[in-house]
Amino acid sequence: MGTLLQQIINGLSLGSVYALIAVGYSLVYSILLFSNFAHGGFLVIGGYICYGILKTFGTNIWLAGGLSLAGAGIAAVLTERLAYRPIRERTNVTLYLLIASMGMSIVIENIFVIVAGGRFRALPPVIPTAPINFFGFATTSAFDLLSLVSAVVFLGALQLFLLKTRWGLAIRAAAYDLRTAGLMGVNVNRLISIVFFVAGALAAVGGIFLSVRYTLYPQLGAITIKAFVAAVIGGLGSLPGAVVGSLILGLAEMLTAGFISSQMRDLVVFSMLVITLLVKPTGLFGKSVSEKV
Amino acid sequence: MSGYTEGIIILLCINAIAAMGVSLLTGFTGIFSLGHAAYMALGAYTTAILTIQHGVHWFPAILCGGIVAVVVAYLIGVPTLRLLGDYYAIASIGLGEAIRLILENWQSVTRGARGYPGIDPYTTLPVAAGIFIVLAIGMFNLINSRFGRACKACRDDYIASSLLGFNTARIRVVSLMISAFYCGVAGALLGGFLSFIQPVMFDMLKSTELTAVVVFGGLGSMSGALLGTAVITLVTELFRPISQYRMLIYGAVLVIVMVIRPEGIMGNRELLSWIKAPFRRKA
Repeated sequence: MGTLLQQIINGLSLGSVYALIAVGYSLVYSILLFSNFAHGGFLVIGGYICYGILKTFGTNIWLAGGLSLAGAGIAAVLTERLAYRPIRERTNVTLYLLIASMGMSIVIENIFVIVAGGRFRALPPVIPTAPINFFGFATTSAFDLLSLVSAVVFLGALQLFLLKTRWGLAIRAAAYDLRTAGLMGVNVNRLISIVFFVAGALAAVGGIFLSVRYTLYPQLGAITIKAFVAAVIGGLGSLPGAVVGSLILGLAEMLTAGFISSQMRDLVVFSMLVITLLVKPTGLFGKSVSEKV
Repeated sequence: MSGYTEGIIILLCINAIAAMGVSLLTGFTGIFSLGHAAYMALGAYTTAILTIQHGVHWFPAILCGGIVAVVVAYLIGVPTLRLLGDYYAIASIGLGEAIRLILENWQSVTRGARGYPGIDPYTTLPVAAGIFIVLAIGMFNLINSRFGRACKACRDDYIASSLLGFNTARIRVVSLMISAFYCGVAGALLGGFLSFIQPVMFDMLKSTELTAVVVFGGLGSMSGALLGTAVITLVTELFRPISQYRMLIYGAVLVIVMVIRPEGIMGNRELLSWIKAPFRRKA
């Protein structure tokens, strides 16, 4: 019973980190309708900025975290400006954007391989990882609770932004139809920049927590595959779907690791993807994307 | 011919076979894949296991390798290619990773992550070149056939082509199956060339490389895919001394090509039509 509860908490905590990544990815997908494979790069940029600031200046985590969010957000905006906008302006073939994003993901990963080296790095112990006892039922680490809480805070803030602000309204409109939103007077280029900034910043939060949970290395961005899978399970382009899908994925992964074998956890993730595609390909909350003929 | 040159030519043939497969899917049918290395892995492992454990002759074994890849492509293609959007791209990453994990963990059959040694070196230059030529003739005929034109129609406008009576979902699945066959055969030949295979050889980087070559050569041009293979394979050899920067340059080239010339070197034209063009009378 205790182990079960513990694994559920761990699963929710891992799932909430996936949710931070998956939501940003889904947000971009809902506007531009392409899979941004460079999304994992933003996560790595966030992680390394946080690591660099903590190591060189020894400041507290709040400052380092804030700068890392801003840095990853700006990197995401720059990626969009440099690589996606020229393509976007010329053609509406999303395949080209997809390939450019693949290229950007390779570029970002290898910049860090060259600049920072391929070594695994541990973030300084700024986030408490002490065990916490849960009324005698289960023991979990403070880190797991903290990542769960911060994910909830950031996702709540995103929800407020999308529902209560003018730009949030514009983003929701653009998710229905970017072209029409543009015709209604929304500055589409600025809107896309804002979306990329938000996606990059959320990925950085995920990146910081992932580099504490595992370690920091240039290929850490590959973990976004799981966020993509979570987004598909929840329904591509749907934000609540991305959150629910991520939580399901986190739980499935942790329960498999805890009760079956930790080698099986990735296999479980991918079989969940295949099962979703077989049974309900639009995911839990997805719009219908099947061919209409 | 020195062993080194011969090796590079064999490698060129193998890469070209895989590139033709990916070109059919990505260039002609408009489906992006990030998991085609998995089909190569399936081909390589099937052939290796058949020749070593069961004493099958290498030629039928290579065909079996291709067929196993086709079967898996069918299973993954039917649910994902019915949908529009990036579903196949994401499923193909999942497939690639899942197959790699299975190969790494299924110790009793695949010998796990340490790899599968002692494969007969059946991929000699005549074998590789012969299979390449046969498959190339097949592919060039295919893209100019009714099926090839149907693929292009689905790529350019699926609504219009389905109104014209094409079963677009089926065309996409068949296109994937053919491309999986080419990659399966390429993987089988790679196993025979190196006489050693390892799951990590068929990771996502390899899949990206397969797609990148096709994009570089030109989406919608089969001769472009071959040209792209030649350029990338030879440039990779040249860049061997600065291998640290190789991947960085590679990614940057991919982005720059997309920004400056998204249609690749050849665009959607074939080499032959390009040479003929100046001599053609104006209509």
